[in-house]
Amino acid sequence: MDDRRAGWKKHARGLLWKATKATTKGFIAYVIYFVAWSFLSPLSQWIPSLQQMIETFVAIYIVLMILGELTSGTIYQHFFNAAKALFVIAYMLMSLKGGIFGLSVENVNLTIDLRLFMIATMLLGLLGFARTILQAIDYMSQKAEPRLLKLN
Amino acid sequence: MRIPIRMIGIATTVFWIFLIAFFVSAAYSAKDIQFGFGDPQTGMNVDNELFFSLPVALTNRGFYNIGNFNVTSRIADGDGLEITRGSTLIPVIRRGEEVRAFHNLTFDVDDLLQRDQNYLFNDGEIRIHETVGLKLAETIPVQAEANFTVPWGAPLYSFAIGEPQYSAHNTTHFRATVSISFENHAFFDLTGSIQLQMYNDVNRQTGYSEIAFLAPQHTRYDGAVEFYVLMSDVSSSGRFEACLSSLLFSYGPWVIPYG
Repeated sequence: MDDRRAGWKKHARGLLWKATKATTKGFIAYVIYFVAWSFLSPLSQWIPSLQQMIETFVAIYIVLMILGELTSGTIYQHFFNAAKALFVIAYMLMSLKGGIFGLSVENVNLTIDLRLFMIATMLLGLLGFARTILQAIDYMSQKAEPRLLKLN
Repeated sequence: MRIPIRMIGIATTVFWIFLIAFFVSAAYSAKDIQFGFGDPQTGMNVDNELFFSLPVALTNRGFYNIGNFNVTSRIADGDGLEITRGSTLIPVIRRGEEVRAFHNLTFDVDDLLQRDQNYLFNDGEIRIHETVGLKLAETIPVQAEANFTVPWGAPLYSFAIGEPQYSAHNTTHFRATVSISFENHAFFDLTGSIQLQMYNDVNRQTGYSEIAFLAPQHTRYDGAVEFYVLMSDVSSSGRFEACLSSLLFSYGPWVIPYG
């Protein structure tokens, strides 16, 4: 009975720690967004959809990050982390429309070439994805090792 | 395996922070770039071409240098055929620096008239395609383009040669007076001469005269040419052949019938 209670306590403590960690990470991500947006806000008068674009990205990214933290220690953590890395790549590709960002203000056509930025974010996204795959392989090999030892 | 994974994670985080900080600060410093255009100046250069000079002032108060600042103008006629093109490039504008430059375009009126003489006699419009480009933080290319049309004022608008008025000069010759008028709608002054040859109804040249003129921009010119013609050569109808020479262009001969 005492063992079950101790196990439950340990489980609850672990869950609380995960929740605290997820909340802290989410909060830090939001603070980074908040600070970055205060610098980028002058651009929103030229690009009205910019705020919505960044907000959607940040919201989905934070949700995936929190889910990844809450499921840490399980295989699902790696699914969410992989989804997060792939989401960064896909969102950059879709929202930046190939890296050439154009808008028209009255008679003036403005073109911003963000291909270099897009390539950098995609490479970082791919690096994140590779890391997630390595983490998943590591996780699976650690799970498999005790069983292999038993077989031997 | 955990240490390499952790190292990849740290490296990824550092790169993300660097990338976001760089992009945000580059975008933020774009608002501290001020550029303005002064009053355009027009005139004539040593090759007797019209020039158009636009003063450009650029102040970079951002965090980074600006690279490849360029202004390109393309002037085309109503059909879109290029008349002239000019480009001004400033390779680097360092942060905190203020740069002034002149964006120059030269314009050969002769070239334009060879394509379409309507520009000489009829008002119209010419198309201007303006491009301003720069590299924010010497990395992010930004380009603004605009198309607009500007009115073209014909230098010889409603050019007319009046009927010859004859008066006796001596027993063999008449003195013929012919009026010439036009409106200079162009943005430049027109100085030159008009050579006029008079032919009678049997294609025989009856007189030749030349008149110098000065028609400042947006003014009307009224002048008169005098001929001394043989009384026997005079006919009630015929034609004039006119040639115009000015510093900017030459045109002619063109035929104007009378009578």
